[in-house]
Amino acid sequence: MTTALFSEDQRDALQELTNIGMGQAGASVAAVLGEFVQLSVPRILVLKPALIPAALERIVGAEKVTAVRQGFHGDLRGEAVVVFGAAHCRELADLMGYDDSLDEAAERELLLDVSNVLVGACLGGLAEQISAEMGFSAPSLMASEAEVATLLDVSRMDSPCALFVEVNFRLEKRSFACHLVMLLPEDQILVLRDAIDRFLASL
Amino acid sequence: MASTVLVVDDSAMARKMLIRSLPASWDVEVRQASNGVEAMAAYRQGDVDVMFLDLTMPEMDGFQVLESLRAEGLNCLVVVVSADIQPEAQERVRRLGAIAFVKKPVDAEKLGVVLRDYGVAL
Repeated sequence: MTTALFSEDQRDALQELTNIGMGQAGASVAAVLGEFVQLSVPRILVLKPALIPAALERIVGAEKVTAVRQGFHGDLRGEAVVVFGAAHCRELADLMGYDDSLDEAAERELLLDVSNVLVGACLGGLAEQISAEMGFSAPSLMASEAEVATLLDVSRMDSPCALFVEVNFRLEKRSFACHLVMLLPEDQILVLRDAIDRFLASL
Repeated sequence: MASTVLVVDDSAMARKMLIRSLPASWDVEVRQASNGVEAMAAYRQGDVDVMFLDLTMPEMDGFQVLESLRAEGLNCLVVVVSADIQPEAQERVRRLGAIAFVKKPVDAEKLGVVLRDYGVAL
Protein backbone atom coordinates (compact mmCIF):
# COMPACT_ATOMS: atom_id res chain seq x y z
CA MET A 1 0.00 0.00 0.00
CA THR A 2 1.58 3.26 -1.08
CA THR A 3 0.68 6.84 -1.78
CA ALA A 4 4.21 7.64 -2.98
CA LEU A 5 2.86 9.03 -6.26
CA PHE A 6 1.64 11.97 -4.22
CA SER A 7 3.64 14.32 -2.05
CA GLU A 8 2.11 15.01 1.36
CA ASP A 9 0.85 18.41 0.10
CA GLN A 10 -0.77 16.83 -2.95
CA ARG A 11 -2.41 14.08 -0.88
CA ASP A 12 -3.67 16.62 1.65
CA ALA A 13 -5.06 18.79 -1.16
CA LEU A 14 -6.82 15.84 -2.82
CA GLN A 15 -8.33 14.83 0.51
CA GLU A 16 -9.63 18.34 1.15
CA LEU A 17 -10.95 18.77 -2.40
CA THR A 18 -12.70 15.40 -2.06
CA ASN A 19 -14.03 16.52 1.32
CA ILE A 20 -15.70 19.51 -0.34
CA GLY A 21 -17.25 17.29 -3.02
CA MET A 22 -18.36 14.86 -0.32
CA GLY A 23 -20.05 17.70 1.60
CA GLN A 24 -22.07 18.63 -1.48
CA ALA A 25 -22.99 14.98 -2.07
CA GLY A 26 -23.95 14.54 1.59
CA ALA A 27 -26.23 17.56 1.45
CA SER A 28 -27.86 16.29 -1.76
CA VAL A 29 -28.51 12.83 -0.39
CA ALA A 30 -29.71 14.26 2.95
CA ALA A 31 -32.26 16.29 1.01
CA VAL A 32 -33.40 13.21 -0.93
CA LEU A 33 -33.67 10.95 2.14
CA GLY A 34 -34.79 13.58 4.62
CA GLU A 35 -32.21 12.35 7.13
CA PHE A 36 -28.99 13.74 8.57
CA VAL A 37 -25.96 12.20 6.90
CA GLN A 38 -22.82 11.58 8.93
CA LEU A 39 -19.65 12.27 6.99
CA SER A 40 -16.17 11.06 7.76
CA VAL A 41 -12.73 11.99 6.47
CA PRO A 42 -12.21 10.66 2.91
CA ARG A 43 -9.50 8.05 2.53
CA ILE A 44 -6.92 8.27 -0.24
CA LEU A 45 -4.88 5.22 -1.25
CA VAL A 46 -2.73 4.30 -4.20
CA LEU A 47 -2.96 0.55 -4.64
CA LYS A 48 -1.93 -2.23 -6.95
CA PRO A 49 -5.17 -3.39 -8.61
CA ALA A 50 -4.86 -6.80 -6.93
CA LEU A 51 -5.28 -5.10 -3.55
CA ILE A 52 -8.49 -3.26 -4.46
CA PRO A 53 -10.87 -6.09 -3.42
CA ALA A 54 -9.27 -6.17 0.04
CA ALA A 55 -9.62 -2.40 0.33
CA LEU A 56 -13.33 -2.69 -0.56
CA GLU A 57 -13.77 -5.50 1.93
CA ARG A 58 -12.22 -3.35 4.64
CA ILE A 59 -15.00 -0.81 4.09
CA VAL A 60 -18.03 -3.09 4.10
CA GLY A 61 -16.81 -6.15 5.98
CA ALA A 62 -17.99 -9.63 5.08
CA GLU A 63 -21.57 -8.71 4.22
CA LYS A 64 -22.91 -9.11 0.70
CA VAL A 65 -23.16 -5.96 -1.32
CA THR A 66 -25.07 -4.39 -4.13
CA ALA A 67 -23.07 -1.98 -6.24
CA VAL A 68 -23.58 0.60 -8.93
CA ARG A 69 -20.86 1.76 -11.29
CA GLN A 70 -20.64 4.98 -13.19
CA GLY A 71 -17.85 5.93 -15.54
CA PHE A 72 -16.55 9.46 -15.97
CA HIS A 73 -14.60 10.93 -18.82
CA GLY A 74 -13.29 14.23 -20.10
CA ASP A 75 -10.34 15.90 -18.38
CA LEU A 76 -10.30 12.96 -15.95
CA ARG A 77 -11.22 9.40 -16.83
CA GLY A 78 -12.09 6.69 -14.37
CA GLU A 79 -14.83 4.90 -12.61
CA ALA A 80 -16.97 5.55 -9.57
CA VAL A 81 -18.47 2.64 -7.67
CA VAL A 82 -21.19 3.09 -5.07
CA VAL A 83 -21.40 0.14 -2.69
CA PHE A 84 -24.46 -0.61 -0.57
CA GLY A 85 -24.76 -3.37 2.00
CA ALA A 86 -27.43 -5.71 0.60
CA ALA A 87 -29.69 -5.22 3.63
CA HIS A 88 -29.51 -1.49 3.09
CA CYS A 89 -31.23 -1.60 -0.27
CA ARG A 90 -34.58 -2.45 1.31
CA GLU A 91 -33.97 0.22 3.90
CA LEU A 92 -33.45 2.74 1.15
CA ALA A 93 -36.90 2.02 -0.27
CA ASP A 94 -38.33 2.35 3.23
CA LEU A 95 -36.54 5.66 3.76
CA MET A 96 -38.00 6.97 0.55
CA GLY A 97 -41.45 6.12 1.84
CA TYR A 98 -42.15 3.15 -0.41
CA ASP A 99 -43.93 0.14 1.04
CA ASP A 100 -43.13 -3.52 0.47
CA SER A 101 -44.83 -3.52 -2.90
CA LEU A 102 -41.79 -1.96 -4.55
CA ASP A 103 -40.72 -4.47 -7.18
CA GLU A 104 -37.17 -5.34 -8.11
CA ALA A 105 -37.05 -3.01 -11.09
CA ALA A 106 -38.27 -0.04 -9.06
CA GLU A 107 -35.81 -0.84 -6.28
CA ARG A 108 -32.98 -0.95 -8.81
CA GLU A 109 -34.12 2.36 -10.25
CA LEU A 110 -33.95 3.87 -6.78
CA LEU A 111 -30.39 2.63 -6.23
CA LEU A 112 -29.30 4.05 -9.55
CA ASP A 113 -30.90 7.41 -8.74
CA VAL A 114 -29.23 7.70 -5.33
CA SER A 115 -25.87 6.64 -6.80
CA ASN A 116 -26.22 9.17 -9.56
CA VAL A 117 -26.85 11.96 -7.06
CA LEU A 118 -23.85 10.95 -4.95
CA VAL A 119 -21.42 10.56 -7.82
CA GLY A 120 -22.54 13.70 -9.64
CA ALA A 121 -22.28 15.90 -6.54
CA CYS A 122 -19.09 14.39 -5.13
CA LEU A 123 -17.04 14.14 -8.31
CA GLY A 124 -18.65 17.22 -9.80
CA GLY A 125 -17.66 19.19 -6.69
CA LEU A 126 -14.10 17.92 -6.91
CA ALA A 127 -13.85 18.62 -10.66
CA GLU A 128 -15.23 22.13 -10.33
CA GLN A 129 -12.50 23.15 -7.91
CA ILE A 130 -9.68 21.96 -10.12
CA SER A 131 -11.42 23.37 -13.21
CA ALA A 132 -11.75 19.93 -14.81
CA GLU A 133 -14.53 19.30 -17.30
CA MET A 134 -16.07 15.92 -16.70
CA GLY A 135 -18.95 13.95 -18.16
CA PHE A 136 -20.65 10.94 -16.61
CA SER A 137 -21.99 7.78 -18.18
CA ALA A 138 -25.35 6.45 -17.04
CA PRO A 139 -25.14 4.50 -13.77
CA SER A 140 -25.51 0.74 -14.08
CA LEU A 141 -26.01 -2.04 -11.59
CA MET A 142 -22.77 -4.03 -11.44
CA ALA A 143 -23.70 -6.61 -8.85
CA SER A 144 -26.60 -7.51 -6.62
CA GLU A 145 -26.14 -9.28 -3.29
CA ALA A 146 -22.65 -10.35 -4.31
CA GLU A 147 -19.47 -11.09 -2.40
CA VAL A 148 -17.46 -7.88 -2.24
CA ALA A 149 -14.33 -9.69 -3.44
CA THR A 150 -16.03 -10.50 -6.75
CA LEU A 151 -17.22 -6.96 -7.50
CA LEU A 152 -14.37 -5.89 -9.72
CA ASP A 153 -12.45 -8.06 -12.09
CA VAL A 154 -9.06 -6.63 -11.18
CA SER A 155 -7.25 -9.06 -13.46
CA ARG A 156 -8.58 -6.98 -16.36
CA MET A 157 -7.01 -3.78 -15.03
CA ASP A 158 -3.74 -3.28 -16.83
CA SER A 159 -2.67 -0.22 -14.85
CA PRO A 160 0.25 -0.88 -12.49
CA CYS A 161 -1.53 1.05 -9.76
CA ALA A 162 -4.81 2.78 -9.15
CA LEU A 163 -5.99 5.68 -7.05
CA PHE A 164 -8.63 4.57 -4.57
CA VAL A 165 -10.63 7.38 -2.97
CA GLU A 166 -13.14 6.26 -0.36
CA VAL A 167 -16.03 8.40 0.84
CA ASN A 168 -18.51 7.09 3.40
CA PHE A 169 -22.07 8.22 4.03
CA ARG A 170 -23.93 6.98 7.10
CA LEU A 171 -27.29 7.88 8.52
CA GLU A 172 -27.34 8.75 12.16
CA LYS A 173 -30.73 7.27 13.02
CA ARG A 174 -30.63 4.22 10.77
CA SER A 175 -28.14 1.54 9.97
CA PHE A 176 -28.13 2.65 6.33
CA ALA A 177 -24.70 3.36 4.90
CA CYS A 178 -23.18 3.55 1.46
CA HIS A 179 -19.69 4.06 0.19
CA LEU A 180 -18.42 5.83 -2.87
CA VAL A 181 -15.13 4.68 -4.31
CA MET A 182 -13.44 6.61 -7.07
CA LEU A 183 -10.92 4.62 -9.09
CA LEU A 184 -8.37 6.17 -11.42
CA PRO A 185 -5.75 4.30 -13.45
CA GLU A 186 -2.12 5.39 -13.19
CA ASP A 187 -2.03 7.67 -16.26
CA GLN A 188 -5.03 9.54 -14.87
CA ILE A 189 -3.38 9.82 -11.45
CA LEU A 190 -0.68 11.86 -13.17
CA VAL A 191 -3.31 14.06 -14.85
CA LEU A 192 -5.02 14.60 -11.50
CA ARG A 193 -1.69 15.34 -9.83
CA ASP A 194 -0.94 18.06 -12.39
CA ALA A 195 -4.39 19.56 -11.85
CA ILE A 196 -3.81 19.57 -8.08
CA ASP A 197 -0.44 21.27 -8.60
CA ARG A 198 -2.09 23.99 -10.69
CA PHE A 199 -4.74 24.42 -8.01
CA LEU A 200 -2.10 24.68 -5.25
CA ALA A 201 -0.07 27.16 -7.32
CA SER A 202 -3.17 29.34 -7.71
CA LEU A 203 -3.66 29.70 -3.95
CA MET B 1 -4.19 44.45 20.87
CA ALA B 2 -3.94 41.48 18.55
CA SER B 3 -6.65 38.84 18.74
CA THR B 4 -5.59 35.21 19.05
CA VAL B 5 -7.28 32.97 16.51
CA LEU B 6 -7.12 29.20 16.45
CA VAL B 7 -7.59 27.55 13.05
CA VAL B 8 -8.71 23.94 13.43
CA ASP B 9 -8.70 21.68 10.38
CA ASP B 10 -7.15 18.31 9.58
CA SER B 11 -6.06 19.64 6.19
CA ALA B 12 -2.99 21.87 6.08
CA MET B 13 -4.25 23.28 2.78
CA ALA B 14 -7.63 24.14 4.27
CA ARG B 15 -5.93 25.93 7.19
CA LYS B 16 -3.76 27.88 4.77
CA MET B 17 -6.78 28.86 2.66
CA LEU B 18 -8.68 30.03 5.73
CA ILE B 19 -5.75 32.03 7.08
CA ARG B 20 -5.36 33.75 3.70
CA SER B 21 -9.05 34.62 3.73
CA LEU B 22 -8.86 36.51 7.03
CA PRO B 23 -9.32 40.28 6.62
CA ALA B 24 -5.91 41.88 5.99
CA SER B 25 -6.73 44.71 8.39
CA TRP B 26 -7.37 42.33 11.28
CA ASP B 27 -4.48 42.22 13.75
CA VAL B 28 -4.24 38.54 14.66
CA GLU B 29 -1.92 35.99 16.08
CA VAL B 30 -2.71 32.69 14.33
CA ARG B 31 -2.42 29.29 15.96
CA GLN B 32 -3.30 26.00 14.33
CA ALA B 33 -4.60 22.59 15.33
CA SER B 34 -5.14 19.57 13.10
CA ASN B 35 -7.88 17.78 15.03
CA GLY B 36 -10.32 18.28 17.88
CA VAL B 37 -8.02 16.92 20.56
CA GLU B 38 -5.30 19.41 19.62
CA ALA B 39 -7.91 22.15 19.42
CA MET B 40 -9.11 21.52 22.98
CA ALA B 41 -5.51 21.45 24.25
CA ALA B 42 -4.82 24.81 22.56
CA TYR B 43 -8.12 26.25 23.83
CA ARG B 44 -7.30 25.26 27.41
CA GLN B 45 -4.19 27.45 27.30
CA GLY B 46 -6.79 30.13 27.81
CA ASP B 47 -6.23 33.00 25.40
CA VAL B 48 -8.07 31.99 22.21
CA ASP B 49 -10.46 34.76 21.11
CA VAL B 50 -11.85 33.24 17.92
CA MET B 51 -11.81 29.61 16.82
CA PHE B 52 -12.33 28.63 13.17
CA LEU B 53 -13.54 25.06 13.39
CA ASP B 54 -13.82 22.35 10.74
CA LEU B 55 -16.44 19.64 11.37
CA THR B 56 -15.17 16.51 9.60
CA MET B 57 -11.93 15.57 11.35
CA PRO B 58 -10.27 12.42 12.71
CA GLU B 59 -9.75 11.88 16.48
CA MET B 60 -12.41 14.34 17.59
CA ASP B 61 -14.73 16.08 15.15
CA GLY B 62 -16.05 19.62 15.21
CA PHE B 63 -19.40 18.69 16.77
CA GLN B 64 -17.54 17.03 19.65
CA VAL B 65 -15.31 20.08 20.05
CA LEU B 66 -18.38 22.31 20.34
CA GLU B 67 -19.85 20.00 22.99
CA SER B 68 -16.61 20.01 24.97
CA LEU B 69 -16.29 23.77 24.71
CA ARG B 70 -19.80 24.14 26.05
CA ALA B 71 -19.11 21.75 28.92
CA GLU B 72 -16.07 23.82 29.81
CA GLY B 73 -17.96 27.13 29.70
CA LEU B 74 -17.44 28.32 26.14
CA ASN B 75 -15.11 31.27 26.40
CA CYS B 76 -14.33 32.11 22.78
CA LEU B 77 -16.23 32.83 19.58
CA VAL B 78 -16.52 29.84 17.27
CA VAL B 79 -16.98 30.16 13.53
CA VAL B 80 -17.58 26.77 11.91
CA VAL B 81 -15.88 26.42 8.52
CA SER B 82 -17.02 23.24 6.84
CA ALA B 83 -17.83 21.42 3.63
CA ASP B 84 -20.72 19.70 5.46
CA ILE B 85 -23.37 22.05 4.10
CA GLN B 86 -26.46 20.14 5.25
CA PRO B 87 -28.95 22.64 6.72
CA GLU B 88 -29.21 20.29 9.73
CA ALA B 89 -25.42 20.56 10.30
CA GLN B 90 -25.66 24.35 10.29
CA GLU B 91 -28.58 24.32 12.75
CA ARG B 92 -26.75 21.91 15.04
CA VAL B 93 -23.57 23.95 15.28
CA ARG B 94 -25.56 27.07 16.08
CA ARG B 95 -27.46 25.22 18.79
CA LEU B 96 -24.09 24.10 20.15
CA GLY B 97 -22.96 27.70 20.39
CA ALA B 98 -21.16 28.55 17.14
CA ILE B 99 -21.79 32.16 16.10
CA ALA B 100 -21.65 31.45 12.40
CA PHE B 101 -21.26 28.85 9.69
CA VAL B 102 -19.04 29.49 6.69
CA LYS B 103 -19.05 26.96 3.89
CA LYS B 104 -15.97 25.66 2.12
CA PRO B 105 -14.34 26.66 -0.13
CA VAL B 106 -14.14 29.83 1.93
CA ASP B 107 -15.20 33.07 0.28
CA ALA B 108 -13.00 35.80 1.83
CA GLU B 109 -15.64 38.48 1.36
CA LYS B 110 -18.37 36.47 3.07
CA LEU B 111 -16.01 35.59 5.90
CA GLY B 112 -15.19 39.30 6.28
CA VAL B 113 -18.90 40.14 6.52
CA VAL B 114 -19.43 37.49 9.22
CA LEU B 115 -16.48 38.74 11.27
CA ARG B 116 -17.53 42.39 10.97
CA ASP B 117 -21.15 41.51 11.87
CA TYR B 118 -19.89 40.17 15.17
CA GLY B 119 -17.51 43.07 15.65
CA VAL B 120 -14.51 40.77 15.88
CA ALA B 121 -12.67 42.32 12.94
CA LEU B 122 -12.62 45.78 11.41
